[in-house]
Amino acid sequence: MIGVYKKELKAYFSTPTGYVFMGFFLLIAGFFFAISNLFPMVANYNGMLGNLTFIFLIVVPILTMRLLAEEMRQKTDVLLLTSPLSVGEMIIGKYFAAVTVFLITLLITCMYPVMMSFFGDIAVWEIIGGYVGFFLLGSTFIAIGLFISSLTDNQVIAAVVTFSVLLLLWVMDALQSVVPTDIVSGVVFASALVAAVAIWLYSAARNIYVSLVAAIAGGAVIAGLYIANKDIYTGFIGKVLAWFSLLNRYNEFSLGILSLSPIVYYITFSAAFVFLTIRNIEKKRWS
Amino acid sequence: MIEVQNVTKRYGQHVAVDHVSFTVNDGEILGFLGPNGAGKSTTMNIITGYISATEGTVKIDGIDILDQPEEAKKRIGYLPEFPPLYMDMTVAEYLDFVCDIRKVSSAERKQSLERIMDIVKIDDVKGRLIKNLSKGYKQRVGVAQAMIGNPQVLVLDEPTVGLDPRQIIEMRDLIKRLGKSHTIILSSHILPEVSAVCDRIIIINKGKIVAAGTPDNLSKHLGGGRLSLRVAAPEKQVVAALEQVPGIARVEPRGTFEPGTVDVVVDPDQEVDIRRPVFNALSRADCPILMMRPLDLSLEEIFMQVTTQESEVS
Repeated sequence: MIGVYKKELKAYFSTPTGYVFMGFFLLIAGFFFAISNLFPMVANYNGMLGNLTFIFLIVVPILTMRLLAEEMRQKTDVLLLTSPLSVGEMIIGKYFAAVTVFLITLLITCMYPVMMSFFGDIAVWEIIGGYVGFFLLGSTFIAIGLFISSLTDNQVIAAVVTFSVLLLLWVMDALQSVVPTDIVSGVVFASALVAAVAIWLYSAARNIYVSLVAAIAGGAVIAGLYIANKDIYTGFIGKVLAWFSLLNRYNEFSLGILSLSPIVYYITFSAAFVFLTIRNIEKKRWS
Repeated sequence: MIEVQNVTKRYGQHVAVDHVSFTVNDGEILGFLGPNGAGKSTTMNIITGYISATEGTVKIDGIDILDQPEEAKKRIGYLPEFPPLYMDMTVAEYLDFVCDIRKVSSAERKQSLERIMDIVKIDDVKGRLIKNLSKGYKQRVGVAQAMIGNPQVLVLDEPTVGLDPRQIIEMRDLIKRLGKSHTIILSSHILPEVSAVCDRIIIINKGKIVAAGTPDNLSKHLGGGRLSLRVAAPEKQVVAALEQVPGIARVEPRGTFEPGTVDVVVDPDQEVDIRRPVFNALSRADCPILMMRPLDLSLEEIFMQVTTQESEVS
């Protein structure tokens, strides 16, 4: 794992990728800092960080697009997969390398609040909370980008798809307010979710019985809940979208609240995508 | 050392490798021969654990590649068809990285790297970026990579492809030298290469093994006692005389290569010695034999024979 980690970290800085990422990130961060803190002389640093989160849409694809796509295109994945290294070690090494580059960049921006502290009091803990949230949000997006990079051997496709998925996550909050809230659409949406899970099970396990059982069990739960308490389906779509909204949870950090649940949420979300990436690479060898 | 049993690989309807079984003994150099697309690379990818077989098992030193992949992979060094090189690294950086992932302890790293670079002769380019190396050097870095971690088994997929004639000879010598301390599987579609280097040959076509044996054995077995003759007489007379000899399946005139003579190739019915009857018959017909030579098939001919037979059947 350490070997892959070191190699990826080196690769970021022996190719333009790392510099483009850092340069662009710092340029935009500096610009935002100047516009929202420096010129108007406002001390609300976390507000600036919150606005800055949009930058992930652009920089995360830069960071993650080549991670696995390039290995597959150059056929260097053969080297990694025929070495006594497990797929898990390889993927986790790559993930941490990308997160490290992001963390280094983030630490450089710490000089902004330090600069501000020379000219007045700043809310130290609030800003630290903001940074923790910003870091966790970015790491989660990197995990998503890593997964998408494992789906294709073309960097450009990986970058574009990552951008689109992150954009989708972005507009999810806006979607919540416009999706239908009535009971019928809630039930339909729940059924669609169950169907999607069953289809995914079938494509992964190639076992019709397992997926049928899953579909029937899911259907039974939906029907049972409907009979027991049909109000549960009011605004169901919105609730599901809200649960998946990564940005919603960031707001707590912005206020300087460090509570356990969003931290666990982000880490779980990242771990899930790293795990999916490992599965995906392993699955390739079987097909 | 390597046991391959009933290995099959299917891609949907397409069968890339079809129930292939063979074993490779300790210290042997096995040649894997076949036209492009015969399933050589797929088989090698399965042996090294890069992809998995649809059916069948591969054991390295008694260890199943799927059950204990980490243990089995430690024992194999693999040079794929396209050497897996990182173009943005220097040779030294690259080999160091391979040491990392093959878990070579830092104590023995320096010494073993020096030894390997000495064997494959890349010492003079270790500071250069891999993308700036010539094809021959890249291939040698690929071989060096496969040797790291001191695996007992080396799997080399078309190690001489794209090299110039001098580099090919160097690569062959290198493989022969490595063969003294390693078990090697080597694939190629170039026959002289395989016959020059390998102890044993497996010919594969359309995913199936069509012939196997030592280079000598293969050519004898499939040659089957054919004779090439040069006779100082008109063609008609020679053919007429030969056709009366019992035990001859086919007489094939090959034309005139020396004034006043004719060349013919004679196929026996079974694997019987027909040299005496042929001599007697021609001598009775007053056709002096100037040359008689048993015709072992060259590997090219064996190759053509087994691969075209296969396609006629299918």
